[in-house]
Amino acid sequence: MARRRGLTAYAFLAPGLLLFAAFRVYPLLDGLRLSFTNARLGRPAQAFVGLANYERLLEDTRFHTSLWNTLFYTVASTLPILAIPLLLAVALNRGAMRTVLRGAFFFPFTLSVVTVGLTWLWLLDPVVGPFNYYLGGLVGRGRSWLSEPGTAMWVIIATTVWWVTGYYLVIYLAGLQDIPRDLYESAALDGAGAIRSFWAITLPLLRPVLLFVFVTHIIGSFQIFGQVFVLTQGGPGDSTRTVVQHLYETAFQNFFAFGAASAMAWVLFAIILVFSLLQFRLLRGHTEL
Amino acid sequence: MPRRRDAQGLLLAAALGALAVLWLLPVVWVVVTSLKPTANIIRVPPEWVPWPATLEHYVEVLFSSSRTARIGRAFVNSLVVSLGTVILVVGTSALAAYPLARMRFPGKTVVFSVIIGSLMIPNAVVLVPQYVLVQRLGWLSTYQGLIVPEAAVTFAFGVFLLRQFFLTIPHELEDAALIDGANAWQVFSRIVVPLSQPVLAALGIFAFRSAWNDFLWPLIAVNKAEMFPLPVALALLRGAYSSESYGPIMAGAALSALPLLIVFLIANRRIVEGVRLSGLKG
Repeated sequence: MARRRGLTAYAFLAPGLLLFAAFRVYPLLDGLRLSFTNARLGRPAQAFVGLANYERLLEDTRFHTSLWNTLFYTVASTLPILAIPLLLAVALNRGAMRTVLRGAFFFPFTLSVVTVGLTWLWLLDPVVGPFNYYLGGLVGRGRSWLSEPGTAMWVIIATTVWWVTGYYLVIYLAGLQDIPRDLYESAALDGAGAIRSFWAITLPLLRPVLLFVFVTHIIGSFQIFGQVFVLTQGGPGDSTRTVVQHLYETAFQNFFAFGAASAMAWVLFAIILVFSLLQFRLLRGHTEL
Repeated sequence: MPRRRDAQGLLLAAALGALAVLWLLPVVWVVVTSLKPTANIIRVPPEWVPWPATLEHYVEVLFSSSRTARIGRAFVNSLVVSLGTVILVVGTSALAAYPLARMRFPGKTVVFSVIIGSLMIPNAVVLVPQYVLVQRLGWLSTYQGLIVPEAAVTFAFGVFLLRQFFLTIPHELEDAALIDGANAWQVFSRIVVPLSQPVLAALGIFAFRSAWNDFLWPLIAVNKAEMFPLPVALALLRGAYSSESYGPIMAGAALSALPLLIVFLIANRRIVEGVRLSGLKG
């Protein structure tokens, strides 16, 4: 009887598990294997090269730059992406027109990264774009934000904030709905103002949601690619080249070096894992209050 | 005191409304640009009313562009790939989530943990080996080469989402059917699936959105122009036209946003619900 139940269960699971094993588990492990070989696009014979690909990464200055850029992007974008949707969510939570406004902020998230990139490319056109026309007086006329090393990465960050704010807004709003209203009422009776309640009630009770947003954002931003590809192609110079852009170029554009690219992928994976575990440790401890 | 609070609330609502309008201005600008004749597009100061309006850029990118992949064809490709992904994801994850929610069987914990653990795998990490696999299968530049890997990514999330929901369905309904002699498949298809329509729709929309907008995988897995999905075709459109011809590029961008805009207007609630549920996966 137990055996039959097992068979039934696995009959239900079979199509999904087949898909999952072939296209998630197997590629993950095969990538690890490839990272120890000199595999190349269109070269059937591959040799085991030990740690050579990883050793080469130690000398690959472009990889170091891309790692640094990715780290910079991740750190610099974290505060705006954590804070802007949160402030919007708090402001929207009790007010009128919540559904309409939420929809307006959410809309950019339904666009593809390419559409978002093209939109901003056009807005920021140095000569005929409306951004420079309206704000040129404030920030300097005719500036080409995407071809200056000092500003290109910030444009990528701003674009991303515009793109994903609505997504995190919805998640924060759901979290806010779960906070019992009477907490605020009794705090107000005790004379706490809006700002005090925010720090004393909203923020602590929202910790699990903040943890989710934080981890999702970090995992996503270490893999940033589309914005870079459309807006700057990694330039000017190497100033916005991120790890995945470099990986893409190494594997599919310049060298077709699958072994080297797989080593990069696993270094990236290791970094993301360490970061995620650290965050869980750091924030979990507090959540269990 | 209440009156002061009302005034504050009104002020806040007005400020938020203004910010929301500002937030959508880039989108408005794209649509406005796509409707202008080429000569008017680059006029300074920017004109926010596209008059005279024209559909020439839409016609060009949809049907007659000789310079690049046709957006019309890419649109169809994206529809096929996205709908195929939705069917595959919803089907496989509903089937898999059912025993994980309702049956006791050996290996259950391991299977579930491995599936959920895979949510931590960054897509960029499997890019190269997935390419090697799809190439070996002869699936490069095919629909299945886009659909199957795409579905495999969303499968884990689907299992998580649907299992959560199946756990909330009262046992009594299924027990009654089992006593009446129904087998597991009948219980699943006649009771569980009909009761789960809202969450299945939420998952479907979620899968559609991620397949419709995916860029990196199709960028490498497709190398024939007639098989490009929209994001890839659009990215290449940018290279094919000089920066002075924003008209066709913006027409393509507006077209690519259309299906999700329609879904969004019809099922705003459901999309938001889907996203909200996705937020619970952490």
